[in-house]
Amino acid sequence: MNIKNIFSQFKEGLYKTRKEFSNKLGFLFSNSKDKIDFLEKLEELLILSDLGTSATAEIMNEFQQINFREYKENNFIFFKEKLKVILIDILNSTAPDIKINENRLNIIMLVGVNGSGKTSIAGKIAYRLKNINNDIIMVPADTFRAAAIQQLKILACKVGAEMINTKEGADPASVVYDGISAARARKKNIVIIDTAGRLHTKTNLMNELEKIKRVIQKEANDCSLEILQTIDATMGQNAIAQAEFFNKSLGVTGIALTKMDGTAKGGIVIAIKKELDIPVKLISCGEKLNNLYDFKAEKFVEALLD
Amino acid sequence: MFASLTDKFQTIFKKIKNKGKLNENDIKNCLHEIRIALLEADVNYKVVKEFIDSLHDKIQQEKISESLSPTQQIIKIVNGEITLTLGCKQNDLSISPAPPTIIMLVGLQGTGKTTTAVKLANYFRKKGHLPLLIATDIYRPAAIEQLQVLGEKSNLPVFSMGKNESAVNIVKAAIKYSSKKNNDVLIIDTAGRLHIDDKLMNELQEINENIPLQEKLLIVDAMAGQDAVNSAKVFCDKIKVSGIILTKLDGDTRGGVALSLKKVLGVPIKFIGIGEKVDNFEPFHPERMASRILGMGDVLTLIEKVETAYSKDELEKLDKKMKDHNFDLNDFYLQLKKMKNIGSVDQIMDMVPGFNNLKNRIDIAKLGDREGELKKIEAIISSMTVEERENPSIINGNRRKRISRGSGTQLSDINRLLKQFYQIKEMFKKGPKLKSFSFN
Repeated sequence: MNIKNIFSQFKEGLYKTRKEFSNKLGFLFSNSKDKIDFLEKLEELLILSDLGTSATAEIMNEFQQINFREYKENNFIFFKEKLKVILIDILNSTAPDIKINENRLNIIMLVGVNGSGKTSIAGKIAYRLKNINNDIIMVPADTFRAAAIQQLKILACKVGAEMINTKEGADPASVVYDGISAARARKKNIVIIDTAGRLHTKTNLMNELEKIKRVIQKEANDCSLEILQTIDATMGQNAIAQAEFFNKSLGVTGIALTKMDGTAKGGIVIAIKKELDIPVKLISCGEKLNNLYDFKAEKFVEALLD
Repeated sequence: MFASLTDKFQTIFKKIKNKGKLNENDIKNCLHEIRIALLEADVNYKVVKEFIDSLHDKIQQEKISESLSPTQQIIKIVNGEITLTLGCKQNDLSISPAPPTIIMLVGLQGTGKTTTAVKLANYFRKKGHLPLLIATDIYRPAAIEQLQVLGEKSNLPVFSMGKNESAVNIVKAAIKYSSKKNNDVLIIDTAGRLHIDDKLMNELQEINENIPLQEKLLIVDAMAGQDAVNSAKVFCDKIKVSGIILTKLDGDTRGGVALSLKKVLGVPIKFIGIGEKVDNFEPFHPERMASRILGMGDVLTLIEKVETAYSKDELEKLDKKMKDHNFDLNDFYLQLKKMKNIGSVDQIMDMVPGFNNLKNRIDIAKLGDREGELKKIEAIISSMTVEERENPSIINGNRRKRISRGSGTQLSDINRLLKQFYQIKEMFKKGPKLKSFSFN
């Protein structure tokens, strides 16, 4: 996929945002009367983007130390650049993008709270990987939610990927076991596992996920495993607790930020990266199968602030 | 992760304990903590700002009396204000005088519309109605099937016409169908949609204009962040939402979105979803939500549970016993039995501010956790003489040996029981009294 193309689509999705809810950022950086006024507006912007109080306070701190007199001339344009640098610095990660290892079985498992977009993003990931000639098997490990299996089945059909069959109420770990066996037997190189949505506070359901992971480790010890947690861009501060619990249970390798086509800014991923150092890897922005993009800190921040 | 507001206040007020009156700086510190607590709960930035300003005046006007702790008083004021904003009385759903009553559920993707639709239908059935669910999500793969499966599981009828008919036509056909089947409550499950998606928002408007809707309920995820106000506002503008249902409150979210929505939109919150089962559905209680947003533990729920376990007389008697240090092993055993009915000791302590960081709580929490433990305690206490029960301090080594033989327990069991008894006695001496948990 063409990187430039990806970004223009991403921005196109966000364009609606700006049209409907004019971003106050331009105003913030050009019309602030003085330091106090500027800092107040900056705080408003950060909090309204769901960065949370502690990340916001730390960013504000960096600005508080600046001697504002020196920059009065260029109307705070300087500060916009500074804010960009701070945010990009928080979001940047040394963790690799999602890469397909050609010599191994690749397993991508999606986890997250209810309604955060796991099944949709499973379809989008399958679509993208299928387009670059991978052999995919999809595993409906959400055997709890009514018709979740059918939903994944329809997506798999659209994408042209295989899905292993199971029925509602089946043990998710054994569905995953079957999926891995099928992948080996049918010589597939990618397994995409869709799991049931669960609140991070439900211990028994978190144990169920841990069991799935144990099955993967036992049955496909040599695989390259990516555990992606979906975070809904409209979520508030509770997403930090979500990430914390899922990470503690499973060791989340990355976040897939969903529903970025609305007006929410998804700033919670900045707080999550800062507190827990979990990198964002994918962004989903729209309902079409191709509305999935690699996360690039610089572009995310630019789209947030421009 | 968040220290409770009560704890923070206690830290602030420790310094001013003996002053009796708050100065401007104390108030400023308090308001700062309240502000952070509200923002951490995801109350909208602008709503917090207004709220803090009006609170400032209230606190200044209020006389902070010397006899009560300023912590309790400020929390009472804040709690009162939030409860007031959230709505003082429950808002039930209105029933159309000319059946059928038609209710439409709307909201963003993934907020829980389909699950809520089934819960709502179940709620109406329990009240003696004959509900019919209508599947109009013709977009999301397998959305119609989801409603059908859920309906089937709960034995609730679902009307659907596949994916090729428009939503408004499906509803029209469902109304015709319902008159034959005598369904008096119709619940429309719509597709999740973005508020900025004009095409789909028009679809809702079309239903709104062509169907006599009794209630239009916006389904909102309780974990939602700052943007919730923006999206909810558009739904309200376009179809005049009549109520809100908050979902996924069974997690640990503080749910500040409730306060934002009520304040900005003025639309009442009518129900909450608290689990995946069909009857995990309750009317909204503003006062409980207020303490949740403030991170104070669900004190009111506890009070309610305590109230059902104890009569007022019993509570007063117990209170007096504690005060007069007459709390003996007979009472101890009785309390243990009662507490078991309220919840585990651990759960109870979680709900009470100030108790949740008690030193010996682990030891105490073990009590009453297991049926076996309680039986053992019963055996030990019944092997004591009346005198020993009323005055445990006379239980010396010889008496311990006798009790041990009589009850068939180890000496260490008796020692542990006595230790725990003294711990609890001490705890109630220091801790808040049961009655004073109330904010009224």
